[in-house]
Amino acid sequence: MSMVNNPYLPELATVVKIIEETPNIKSFQVVLNDPEKMQRFSFQPGQVGQLSVFGVGESTFVINSPPTRKEYLQFSVMRAGEVTSALHELTEGDPIGVRAPLGNWFPYEQMKGKNILFIGGGIGLAPLRTLILFMLDHRDDYGDITIIYGARTPNDLCYKYDLKDWEERSDVNLILTVDAEFPGWDKRVGLVPNVLKEVAPSPENTVAITCGPPIMIKFTLQALSALKFNDEQIITTLEKRMKCGIGICGRCNIGTMYVCKDGPVFSLSQLKSLPPEL
Amino acid sequence: MAECGFLAKEKINTLIEALAKKFQVFVPVLEGEVVLFRGFESGKSLCLSRPANLPPKGIIFPASDVLFRFNFQKDPEDPKKVSVELKENRDFPLTIIFGCRPCDAQGFTIYDRVYLTPETVDPYYRERREKTTIITLACNAPFPGCFCTSVGRGPATTEGSDLLMTELEKGYLFVPITEKGKEIIKAAEFEDGSPYQEEAKKVQENAAALVRKPFEHLEKLPQKLLSLFENTQFWEKEAAKCISCGACTYLCPTCYCFNITDEQVGNTGERIRSWDSCMFFHFTLEASGHNPRPNKYHRLRNRVNHKFSYYPQKYNGVIACCGCGRCIRYCPMSVDISEIVAHAQGA
Amino acid sequence: MSIERLREAVKKILPEVDVVIGYRQGFDPLHATPYFISQPEQVDQLIWNPLCVQNLCSYLPFLKGKVGVIVKGCDSRTIVQYMQEKLIEREKIKVIGVPCLQVISVKKVMAKIDYQVAEEVAFEGENVIVKTPKETKTIPLAEVMPRKCLTCQLATPLQYDILAGEAIQANKPAEAFEEIKEFEQLSLEERRRYWEREFDRCIRCYACRNACPMCICQDRCVAESRDPHWTSQRANLTEKFMFHMIHSVHLAGRCVGCGECERVCPMDIPVAKIKKKISMDLKELFDYQAGINPDDLPPMYTFKVEEAKIKEHEL
Repeated sequence: MSMVNNPYLPELATVVKIIEETPNIKSFQVVLNDPEKMQRFSFQPGQVGQLSVFGVGESTFVINSPPTRKEYLQFSVMRAGEVTSALHELTEGDPIGVRAPLGNWFPYEQMKGKNILFIGGGIGLAPLRTLILFMLDHRDDYGDITIIYGARTPNDLCYKYDLKDWEERSDVNLILTVDAEFPGWDKRVGLVPNVLKEVAPSPENTVAITCGPPIMIKFTLQALSALKFNDEQIITTLEKRMKCGIGICGRCNIGTMYVCKDGPVFSLSQLKSLPPEL
Repeated sequence: MAECGFLAKEKINTLIEALAKKFQVFVPVLEGEVVLFRGFESGKSLCLSRPANLPPKGIIFPASDVLFRFNFQKDPEDPKKVSVELKENRDFPLTIIFGCRPCDAQGFTIYDRVYLTPETVDPYYRERREKTTIITLACNAPFPGCFCTSVGRGPATTEGSDLLMTELEKGYLFVPITEKGKEIIKAAEFEDGSPYQEEAKKVQENAAALVRKPFEHLEKLPQKLLSLFENTQFWEKEAAKCISCGACTYLCPTCYCFNITDEQVGNTGERIRSWDSCMFFHFTLEASGHNPRPNKYHRLRNRVNHKFSYYPQKYNGVIACCGCGRCIRYCPMSVDISEIVAHAQGA
Repeated sequence: MSIERLREAVKKILPEVDVVIGYRQGFDPLHATPYFISQPEQVDQLIWNPLCVQNLCSYLPFLKGKVGVIVKGCDSRTIVQYMQEKLIEREKIKVIGVPCLQVISVKKVMAKIDYQVAEEVAFEGENVIVKTPKETKTIPLAEVMPRKCLTCQLATPLQYDILAGEAIQANKPAEAFEEIKEFEQLSLEERRRYWEREFDRCIRCYACRNACPMCICQDRCVAESRDPHWTSQRANLTEKFMFHMIHSVHLAGRCVGCGECERVCPMDIPVAKIKKKISMDLKELFDYQAGINPDDLPPMYTFKVEEAKIKEHEL
């Protein structure tokens, strides 16, 4: 039987590097075992992949390395359940399965020439990172880039190596915050939605892209609305329990849309047209 | 060569024996008081008098199916190095499902739009679907709970069927619906069925007239259900007696949700696809502990909406319910989806 | 007992509770369905007849607030067992007891009427009369009695705040587990073949588990969990057996014999038999019957160093 064209069959890959981002988040850099497939692999920023730990199961993660950097695919995993715990037990050189790319992507074409406002919390920076790096690789296509990113404590900030880089760049405005005072932290303190209100970016010719824990999203959307951003200007990326990843098994739907296939990227106006079932 | 064939009742088993030489044939049999589909065994009698408790969906969409096997191999040169080998599992012989009801077969057309899309094809489903010929038996009368005519179908609907049998006084009229059906007519010994077509038509029309109609006019229903989405009171009332088991979904010919789990012993294991139900709490439970559908009324609402609102919105108004009535007949608490739809229309 | 008396009783307690759970007609005259009454106008749809088979008590542990519930004798054992296991606050439940000598097994009636659509159902004397498109059939109630009614000693419920009718005496012989003892005459091999044949039909729909009033961890059932991982999702005999063994053993000393598990099985598997066997063993070992005395403690909840009927291994 032909092994091609089976959307359930993962590509065999190897974990080449593991980065401990925070006490419960690790980033995995994986390379497909077939060098030709790795060479030909292409994806759009915002697309996701299913990582397999054979014997344990599969889970969905955004590909948070940018499409312009092709040496490896990076996925960030927060330890939460069975599969993520098994992933955290892996070491460099271990085999892994990858089913990617899945889902839709950030509509970056429509964002050209606009100012981009990224609002992220905790591991919510993962899907934003791929787009930020992609945009930085095409810097001239976009206007001002502002990143508001926060976590509970400084230890919970992801991609510290990127944050350092972005802080130093003059063409990116990075605003970091932590939820509460923390020894050794001399930057902003405050919840992300509150910092957003303080910074009060203008909605003029701007697209806001947000990702983070549900409670942060809720208040961020309120703050954006108060700042006069309309629903078309706000984009988010969602999470759901997934299994097939290709819109068949029936579980990740919100109304008629499957988060794995028609998402995970949605504009707020799209979400508002769907039944409220987040 | 006649277009349609007729076979006397006594000759049915001979027909199946002949078919069984080239196909694996599944027939409805009686075990105790339960009718279900089993592989045909010579000498065993068929039960064609009523619909099976469990529709034959498990033949094309098995209750559990191995997607692939994996095998961890250690490198003798480097003990820390482990690699994985994957083996797909897809072989399926030529198959006939004989004597299921038209509603059972129609269920597969609901699957087809989802499993066989232009962008993504489920190869396991396609293999089984393409290799299976479905011979349906039209109903002479409705059974408790049936309401097929209310969802745009009927006791002799041909959707999903390759060959339609109608029970007449002296035997069965076989009318081919697809090329696969024509192959069966050619392959076996039938009398000319044309003289029996009038009788068959009458039988089918009589049956359709007897089917109960709990609701009509479904064109506005998808939008109506959406408008009721946030009417908590409505859904809590309808779901109050539901006990959140999976009987309705597992017995439903159109339900197609599944789970994927891995099982491993030692160095080898399997990735298994198995039936799952949107009525279970764990269906949408996320690792964080958050569940978008924590209450049974959320889940019942989703089930009704999926069949009568979301699926028709995506696929040109096609309702994802065949009206077989099994969910009503076998629900422990007699939750009645046709009643819920009627209430929604009137709400 | 007249339906009027029952409706009166419901109207009486309705102001004191948030909802009263009773029965109304279901999708056809042969099926009753649970009815959640919160408004007085709804009471007219309340019915009472031998088709009112569901054990309405199963909803109680999951409902907040004050609830009224209509119970038959067999159902009342559930209330008692809930009291033993502290799964309900008895003061918050208003129990309307109804005397009952038997219900009907709808499955048995369906077999007798050839699985036709029931157009009309009437009860006359000791018979139920069912009209279908093919015929009108008069069926003696005794012929369509479910197994649990054959040995019922609880014609009047054990627990009630209002009794809608006159208390009546049971008229059946007490449970002597004859069915189980007869079955145990078969060889192990024969018994194994029997259960393999029965469980082969199981589709793991969990109707039996969810209908069971004592199974309250349905949403987090160990038969579906990955941690602990005791069963897989493979649809084979081993897994089906395993689920039923887990379910039955978790009911040891808790099964109140309501028979719902067997009634609801869409594949007609005699699942109650296993639970009955365990109940029989527990009666012998601990002289205990579930759901009879609210002050009892289920034997699986307690531990005695010396058990009267268990011979410990002598060192």
